Amino acid sequence: MIKKPLIALVFLFLLVISIVVNLPVITMVLNSFKSNTEIMTSTQVMPQQWTMENYLFVNDKSAFWQQFINSIIVTSLTVVATILIGALAGYAISRFRTRLTGSFSVVLLLLQMFPFVLVMLPLFLAFRSLHLIDTLTGVILIQTSISLPVSVLMFRGFFDSIPGEIEEAAWMDGCNRWSTFTRIVLPISGPGIAAVSIFTILLSWNDYIIPNIFIKKESLMTLPLGLQMFMQQNATQWGGLTAAATLSALPILIFLLFVQKYIAYGAASGSVKG
Amino acid sequence: MKEQGVKWLQLRMLGPAILFISLVSLYPFISGIIYSLKDGSLLDSGSFVGFANFAEIFRMSEFWKAFTFSIGFTICSVLGSYVVGLFLAMLLNMNIPGRGIFRVALLVPWVVSSIVSMVGWRSMIGDQTALVNTVIQAFGFEPILFLSSEKWAVFSVIMVKIWRSFPFMMVSLLATLQTINNDMYEAASIDGAGKWRTFVSITLPQLKTATFVSWILMSIWSFNDFDVLWLLTSGGPLDATQNLIIMSYKYAFIKSSTGIGSALGILSLIVLLALALILMRVQKKED
Repeated sequence: MIKKPLIALVFLFLLVISIVVNLPVITMVLNSFKSNTEIMTSTQVMPQQWTMENYLFVNDKSAFWQQFINSIIVTSLTVVATILIGALAGYAISRFRTRLTGSFSVVLLLLQMFPFVLVMLPLFLAFRSLHLIDTLTGVILIQTSISLPVSVLMFRGFFDSIPGEIEEAAWMDGCNRWSTFTRIVLPISGPGIAAVSIFTILLSWNDYIIPNIFIKKESLMTLPLGLQMFMQQNATQWGGLTAAATLSALPILIFLLFVQKYIAYGAASGSVKG
Repeated sequence: MKEQGVKWLQLRMLGPAILFISLVSLYPFISGIIYSLKDGSLLDSGSFVGFANFAEIFRMSEFWKAFTFSIGFTICSVLGSYVVGLFLAMLLNMNIPGRGIFRVALLVPWVVSSIVSMVGWRSMIGDQTALVNTVIQAFGFEPILFLSSEKWAVFSVIMVKIWRSFPFMMVSLLATLQTINNDMYEAASIDGAGKWRTFVSITLPQLKTATFVSWILMSIWSFNDFDVLWLLTSGGPLDATQNLIIMSYKYAFIKSSTGIGSALGILSLIVLLALALILMRVQKKED
């Protein structure tokens, strides 16, 4: 039994910590409702005069919505590709234990170590000759490849937790291994697919490095790169920047509310199985 | 016959993943080694120069500065985020009202994009009118140049990195904490073990695997960090916050020296492998 005063103390402490930890985001959101002059001069945290002018500026003057759509395209295609390819490989590693699949898991951990310049420079030069620079396809291709190692491990961990008896029963009934996988295993893999989707959505939606190297055209940029561009072009428009940043973070924050249970699952299975 | 079929199916299932993963590992790795032995640029593949790039790097004081910073940045970030993450995980493991909401709120630094968090942090410590400086001045102190004085810039990037990393530590450790059987704690309290004793003899040993895995992953991620450093300070002022990754990015993509850039990438990989080996050695010894 834990004592009541202690609980109250911990509750208060967590409340304060939660606010302090979120101060950068809170300040950013509050700044987005201030005029540019107020941001530069005022020492108040709360806006003295709430204004929507920054949001109107973002809406009118920048490629923001185009970049928003680009981000949605890139993220959704990356997620679909990662799930399809990752589930297959994760199932193979989980069910057919051979030397090939055993070493695959070790290789996956090693891949985490590759410094990105070592990866991106050869790809940049290769993609340039293949005319894949300034295409969303190029970004999707690389993001999928980058998210696969961890996704495969997460799928393996999930399939390991499904008892083999279900499949053996299906074989008895004359299903072959492939149809067992597609008809029996996949339909009950919701939580595994959810965990991988969350991981991939966060990785893809937030990715800055890959678009930074492979996209030069403003109309093809995804949100993170677009934001940086915005920062460089409108150095004085701090209000517009905070508004754009708030808008780009909003989908992820709403998403977090819905999936927070699975995030714990994903982090645990993805890392402990490594 | 049947075994043959299984092998074929296994290969088909693994095939696409192997193909994609090779695209971002095998191919760049081999090309990277070749580039590191050449004196090329972004426009010209150059000719072989042996290990001249490596020799040149070892003579640069910029390299040793980046090397030292990389190691220090990694150690501080891993330890810092571990301590904060473990502490919060233990609090969240208690039966506190509204802990679901706290867990979501504490995950925010991890799920927002690097650029969004940098916009946020610049509102906090970006210049003299930023929030933290406003508070400092309200107490009558001089404003601090968090990002433009060398010492404070190092401090700031480590703090921001810990801020971004602790939620991962927190959720990984919390997941393990929730699996620890309550009976063990009860037995300990019957035996008269104090809070600290219980923590050291029950909680920490149970967390061993989770701790080890999260340290390895966080070491890799901190050592390879680009976003936080690039977006916050771009490695400045005076290269004070430049790690090996920023340095190799600058050489490869800005100074167009693909040889030096790739060689730096390979050196980073070697340092990282050594770091992982040390951690694994430590874990073996513990067992």
